[in-house]
Amino acid sequence: MSQTIQPFTGFGLGLRKEHHAEILACAQPLDFVEIISENFMACGGRPLHTLDAVRERHRVAMHGVSLSLGSAHGLDRAYLAELKALAQRIDPLWISDHLCWTGIQGFNSHDLLPLPYTEEALDICAANIARAQDVLERPLLVENPSSYLSFAGNCFSEWQFLAALTERTGCYLLLDVNNIYVSGVNHGFDPRAFIAGIPADRVRQMHLAGHSQGSDGMLIDTHDAPVCPEVWELYTCAVQRFGTCATMIERDDAIPPLGDLLTELDQARTAAAALAA
Amino acid sequence: MTLAQQQLAFAAELRADDALPGEASPGMQIYRNAYRARLLSALEVSYERTRAWVGEEAFAAAACHYVISQPPRDWTLDSYGANFPAVLACLFTGDDEVAELAWLEWYLQQAFAAPDRAELNGAVLAQAGLDDADWEQLRLTMASGFAAREVRRDCTGLWQALRSGVSAGFVLEPADPGMLIVWRQGLTPHFRVLSAGEFAALDCLVRNKPFGAAATIAGEAGAAQLGQWFAQWLNEGLFSGFSLPRAPLARPPGAGC
Repeated sequence: MSQTIQPFTGFGLGLRKEHHAEILACAQPLDFVEIISENFMACGGRPLHTLDAVRERHRVAMHGVSLSLGSAHGLDRAYLAELKALAQRIDPLWISDHLCWTGIQGFNSHDLLPLPYTEEALDICAANIARAQDVLERPLLVENPSSYLSFAGNCFSEWQFLAALTERTGCYLLLDVNNIYVSGVNHGFDPRAFIAGIPADRVRQMHLAGHSQGSDGMLIDTHDAPVCPEVWELYTCAVQRFGTCATMIERDDAIPPLGDLLTELDQARTAAAALAA
Repeated sequence: MTLAQQQLAFAAELRADDALPGEASPGMQIYRNAYRARLLSALEVSYERTRAWVGEEAFAAAACHYVISQPPRDWTLDSYGANFPAVLACLFTGDDEVAELAWLEWYLQQAFAAPDRAELNGAVLAQAGLDDADWEQLRLTMASGFAAREVRRDCTGLWQALRSGVSAGFVLEPADPGMLIVWRQGLTPHFRVLSAGEFAALDCLVRNKPFGAAATIAGEAGAAQLGQWFAQWLNEGLFSGFSLPRAPLARPPGAGC
């Protein structure tokens, strides 16, 4: 994939139905919004009507959860066709999905399941990413997920695996700063080592989100709380390394009023501006 | 172990019944909990009024049964509950309204986001200048999100009572069997219960039979009634288009056999 994605500097939010009316009612201080691609694929009616209206006001990034880039049995061609049709309709900033698998042999877990970081998994992920990029006719952004278990026999760290994928496929990266923190705590690695190991020129977007703590002490990527101080600190570290690429707050549960999220997003703007000054 | 074998084993452990022996690791338990919680939540969102009608405990039991017996297969979670009304029909035998209410909830949501189709209205049909022979052969395409099923209870009254929050005093009166239809006009889903006669005529068109077949069912005595129904169906936006059989091509002079 020889195409490139030009850097885009801006601050956005995930588009959630709780905020549709406000986002359409008047201008909001958003440089872009990110949609969950699957919510608008193969559909029509009010959801697509709303998306078209939002698209008239804002740039849109497409973020998927079902591409299953790590599936050992390859990609779902029908899914890819629907994803491409949506992209052709809204001309997104980019299309992203996760470094994970979601199902196999017709089963779909609707979760971002973990991969072993082995040579075989690298070959399979690289082939799947290349195939998706060919069909979509554009490079993808691949996001690091949170994970709760690791596999014996890993040959790479997660960041080494991501770096290798960018080199092999020409894909870009969506760094979820919260996921780096969550996985770092769960697996005992230094989140700063993760950031240091990512090729700086491949990062096009960053996610910020909140998490919760499970009963056994593991952190869980629940997207139901404000960004915590540790993740803000890591965001500062990431901006120092990657610059002020597109940044957004992800909130999927216990969704607060739009104003609260815009205030939280201002914190990202302020942090990035302070580093740029 | 190959990645494929590893993923198959992981998927099996994810789906395994809680009663199966073997203790999952804390990490696997997080994935197992998230898998079940996500599917249960999808059912709760899709069947909010059914849940309110049968009660939290009965709904949770039915939903757990569904999650174990019907692993998701589609890439979209929006399709996950498609078979839930049929499962409820088996679980709540004797309470027909439960499956009927669930069916109505499901298809209203499907209609809400169904792919767009143009609406066929009377003006478009008039412009087509159809003659009697055309009407005999006319076939119609149903509106976006159209679905139909037989109902034996007043599930639409129940749905409205639940929407208004006044279901506590709702009495399910015996109702004549009818056909419940759901469709979308513009951006708004609609539903209506049809008499057996009206549905028989509409069903011809739903099954892609020509308009003449509906007219045959109505008979001469029912022709005026069919005309009224058809005008109402057009006003309600029940159709998205029409087609006529292609006229045979005239053979050019001198063409061989």
